[in-house]
Amino acid sequence: MLSIVKRILGQMKNDKRSLGLLLFAPLLVLTLLFFILGDSNYLPQIAVYDMNEKFVLELENHATVIEETEKPEASDYLEANRIDALIWIDSAGTHIELLEKNSKSAAALEAIQATNQALQPSQNEPIIDYVYETSGDNQLDSLAYVFLGVISFFFVFILSGMSFVRERFGQTLERMLMTPISRIDVIGGYTLGYGLLAAVQSVVVILYAVYVLQLRVEGSVALCTLVMILMAFSAVSVGALVSIFANNELQLVQFIPVIIIPQIFFSGLIPIDTIPFGLGNLCYLTPVYYGCAALEMIMIQGKGFLEIWPWLAGSVVFIGVLFLANVTALKRYRRL
Amino acid sequence: MKIAVCEVNKAFKQQQVLKQISLTIDSGRIFCLLGASGSGKTTLLRIMMGAISTDGGSVTIGGTTVPNRQLLSAMGYMPQNEALYEDLSVWQNLKFFAGLHRLNRKKFEADAEALLQIIDMAACKNKLIRDCSGGMKKRISLAVALIHKPKLLLLDEPTVGVDPVLRRKIWLYLRQLRNEGTTILVTTHVMDEVTQCDDAALLRNGHIIAKDTVKNLIDQTPDGNIEELFFIDTQSESEESSC
Repeated sequence: MLSIVKRILGQMKNDKRSLGLLLFAPLLVLTLLFFILGDSNYLPQIAVYDMNEKFVLELENHATVIEETEKPEASDYLEANRIDALIWIDSAGTHIELLEKNSKSAAALEAIQATNQALQPSQNEPIIDYVYETSGDNQLDSLAYVFLGVISFFFVFILSGMSFVRERFGQTLERMLMTPISRIDVIGGYTLGYGLLAAVQSVVVILYAVYVLQLRVEGSVALCTLVMILMAFSAVSVGALVSIFANNELQLVQFIPVIIIPQIFFSGLIPIDTIPFGLGNLCYLTPVYYGCAALEMIMIQGKGFLEIWPWLAGSVVFIGVLFLANVTALKRYRRL
Repeated sequence: MKIAVCEVNKAFKQQQVLKQISLTIDSGRIFCLLGASGSGKTTLLRIMMGAISTDGGSVTIGGTTVPNRQLLSAMGYMPQNEALYEDLSVWQNLKFFAGLHRLNRKKFEADAEALLQIIDMAACKNKLIRDCSGGMKKRISLAVALIHKPKLLLLDEPTVGVDPVLRRKIWLYLRQLRNEGTTILVTTHVMDEVTQCDDAALLRNGHIIAKDTVKNLIDQTPDGNIEELFFIDTQSESEESSC
């Protein structure tokens, strides 16, 4: 088993580009994501009708204000004029009309809130209407942990899957199995070798996210790293298992949409309990679910080991099952 | 180690590759499995090792039924293509396979140096495989098969792409191994190679059409050209399309 681990590390050492991609590509993607989701200093466009002058003046400090002399009635007013919010007052109180729940609406609401606070904090609650009503809260906040999990899973999956495909087609797998090595040792060595690399990657990614991108982590960073490492180990096993069904490198790439994308659905991007027909229960079949659920609890809810252990256990069981599946699958290449 | 193949059948997707093959290979001989490409040489070799299953029939090596893991440690296998790790150096490749056989380090280092001398690669043992030429890879692949001093050596087309000078050197070494008691099974479709072997069997259309000592086989041909063997019994069996 140790020979295989050493060999994998040696191979990576001699293949600097793959090593670089493994370690730095996730950082690149995360950085990009950070800027895409980060504070953009977006100045919302807010239309006002029949509001007092003081309010308008103050609002202009927070947003681009368009004063309307007539109350716009058309329902597509906001959309057609690319305006984020419309404010007016009638006997019921202050009305705010917004297009839909997105980051622009959030920015507009924030601007209005800031204005109200500056003027008279004790004002009545405004009545907020959306043109397009959507359920649930903004999902943007949850993207950070989802991508942290999915990105590292993805890169490790590709790495281990590819090397297994190559090993089979270069016949080195057959050659390796024509020695007295046991099948458990082969898969064990593989999992451990690539798992170690993946663990290094996880540590690099999480440290980068927390200390360079200043991602907020409510709970313990060490626990996050542990979750990421477990997820990386399952990625190695999934990669190895999928490679059995791929007849060449191209087919392995074609498996990415089948294997990776459904996992993103169950990673927390969509709240599991809102998924209809009980399809949400499929999440228990996706290793990313266990990792991302645990990451969410640590990073956002600040939970500790005692609360997240069932998810960690889920990961471990998953790795175990995949391990046995891989060991059995190797029988195809040697009859014992 | 004596190999006994008994009534082995093998088909891939309807196509019958091996039909009732029975064959004994005596211990301490260089045995040549001769046949055109696609005649099932490699398949037979894989069955002997226990890499793939048979559709009936059995193989025993030295009295032990294949597959058997202890048997694998006494076996050295060199596949048709190089089957080496491109991102590792010559030395690292040898070391990895030695590790799988659990050789101790001192012994490995001495043996590996000696082997590299024989295959004429001692000077570039730290070269990465991806930088090696085809002939070099072939030689390294042979060295990998020999690293644990196997009692039975299975070589799938070992000298294809090796230059004549080196080929002679390799055959000299193989004969030396045989004299030390190693059984060597070689597949080839190059007829010249046969003369280097002790015994030979001809595989054709899934049957062994002839098996004897090389000397006797050559005596059977009208002009001493071993290729003639393939034409001796064309009359007896109609040509089957094999694709």
